Amino acid sequence: MEEFKYILIFGLLHSLTYLVFSLGFSLIFGVARLPNLSYGALYVFAGYATYIFLTQLGLDFSLAVIASTLLTATTSFAVGEFTIKPAMKFPVSVFITTMAVAYIFEEFFRIQMGLRPVTLPLYSGTTTVMGVPVSNHWLLVGLVSLLMVLALLLFLFKTSIGRAVRAVAESWEESMRLGINPLKVLRVTFLLSGVYAALTGILLTPLKALTPGSGWTPLFTAFAVVVMGGIGNVLGTVIASLIYGFTEQLVTYMLGGGIARVVPLVLIVLVLVFRPHGLFGRGE
Amino acid sequence: MSKLVFAKPSKIKKVRKLLPSLAVVAIYLALPIMGLSGFWIDVLTRVNIFLLITLSLDLYSGTTLYLNLGVPFTVGASAYAIALLNRYLGIPVEYAILPSAAISAVLSFAIFIPSLRVRGAYFSILSLLLPIILAGLVTSQPFSLYLGGEGGISYPPLFFSYARTLPARERLFFLSASYFYISAAVAIVAYVICYKVAYSDFGFMMRSIGQDELLAEASGIDTFRVKLVGFTASSFLSAVAGALYAAMRPPVTADVFIPANTLVPSLTAVILGGMGTVVGPAIANHLTLITYEVLWGVLGRWRIILYMCLLIVLVLLRPQGFVFYLYLRLKRAVSTKISRLFEGA
Repeated sequence: MEEFKYILIFGLLHSLTYLVFSLGFSLIFGVARLPNLSYGALYVFAGYATYIFLTQLGLDFSLAVIASTLLTATTSFAVGEFTIKPAMKFPVSVFITTMAVAYIFEEFFRIQMGLRPVTLPLYSGTTTVMGVPVSNHWLLVGLVSLLMVLALLLFLFKTSIGRAVRAVAESWEESMRLGINPLKVLRVTFLLSGVYAALTGILLTPLKALTPGSGWTPLFTAFAVVVMGGIGNVLGTVIASLIYGFTEQLVTYMLGGGIARVVPLVLIVLVLVFRPHGLFGRGE
Repeated sequence: MSKLVFAKPSKIKKVRKLLPSLAVVAIYLALPIMGLSGFWIDVLTRVNIFLLITLSLDLYSGTTLYLNLGVPFTVGASAYAIALLNRYLGIPVEYAILPSAAISAVLSFAIFIPSLRVRGAYFSILSLLLPIILAGLVTSQPFSLYLGGEGGISYPPLFFSYARTLPARERLFFLSASYFYISAAVAIVAYVICYKVAYSDFGFMMRSIGQDELLAEASGIDTFRVKLVGFTASSFLSAVAGALYAAMRPPVTADVFIPANTLVPSLTAVILGGMGTVVGPAIANHLTLITYEVLWGVLGRWRIILYMCLLIVLVLLRPQGFVFYLYLRLKRAVSTKISRLFEGA
């Protein structure tokens, strides 16, 4: 029973982090129909930016968070503007351009910061939830993630720009007929996805040490989750990340940590084989 | 009465057309004898092996436009097959190359059959997940005991049992030169086969799938079969690459499954070279990889950043690939020069 509670709580918390990270990824994926492979690098970028602001410039923590979020959003915008948008004419090239950006960031941080893992201040202490001790930082991560998911849902479903984002994700041509400028919408998603990458990077860095190459695992997770749920489908992404998080925790408990990274991916491969457009995706 | 004679291209003309490329190949093969340093021979060996992966990617993904990001899976599976055959059955790597390539091709075939149903971008994503899964399996608990874990599996490399009898100074040269010639021979054979296949009827069937799969099916092409055969053939090529590389450079570690090591260089070459043209990617493969090594001497650690920036600019400037275009212009210039030379003589 104790283990069951443990799996429930940590499965939920992990799922929330995957969900937030994947939603930022799926914004661009849904609108441009192209994967942004530099998304993981933005996560690392935000972590290092905060670290530099804190240690070398001596900024206040909240100030450092705001500054690095803004910086990451700007970077994400620039990356999208210069590597994703021009590549839309020839979709295969986006794999090269965004991957190249990711390697540029990785190599830059390897030269500047070295391979030694870096970490950010942790919100210390533990709280007992349903009889299970959970570190306060995990609770903070869960809370902020939940707020970010709700904010994104409100944005997508209640504001006019959000509706435009959904319209473009639905059909590029139809939305143009309705007077929406898809390129403007695309720019909005570049900025927003930068913000989401930055916040997850800052939140998760204290829990998982940051190295220049640590952006790839979250990227592949986001990729897998988004594809499993169906590209551009918010509800599908929510359910897919819940499946991913709970499976991972369950397998970790039953078989150990190493294999737990693999099983959710196998699950996703199986889902894709039987439902080629994801759980909730529709065929073109 | 004059008889109507159909002009058939004479053998001499055909040979004359091939002359420049034969000359280039001859010079390339003579490089180790002409006193190239051991480091560069090793680099060229690696580039030759990468040519196999590039060709395999071009043969399937370049023509059908199904981007197969699962190449590291095939390469890694054959590399691990060669190591495991050596470790558990005691088969020397010399004899294990072809069997392990075959094992890996069959494995890829079996795993990819279901994914051939999936169309477009989903296929790429699905194939991208497979090597990551395998890398996770190799390094995670129960399997890592048998598969070597992080440290990988080590074994005596190709021809080592013979090279051990040589004096120490000759040994190194013998090994690197023989590796170079083997890889070059395999690369040349693979290139000729790929060229023939890519411009054969079968190649055009694959191209038709890339243009419009439904239309291809409507015109009577069994698209599933064509994809399956094309995919297996291309997997076999990259499996040979994996087995050769593993045989020459032990130990085999989970690094082979990382896309940056085994996929990105070839993908770059295919896109810069011009997808589906075979000639373009082959030249681009040598060009990019050798440039990459040269940059190391000039820029040191900043080379990756500069190289990647260059790559972005090139890909965005000419997404359909620029090497093939340059090649055609060069070929025209050279062939007019040659024909003038022969006419003058």
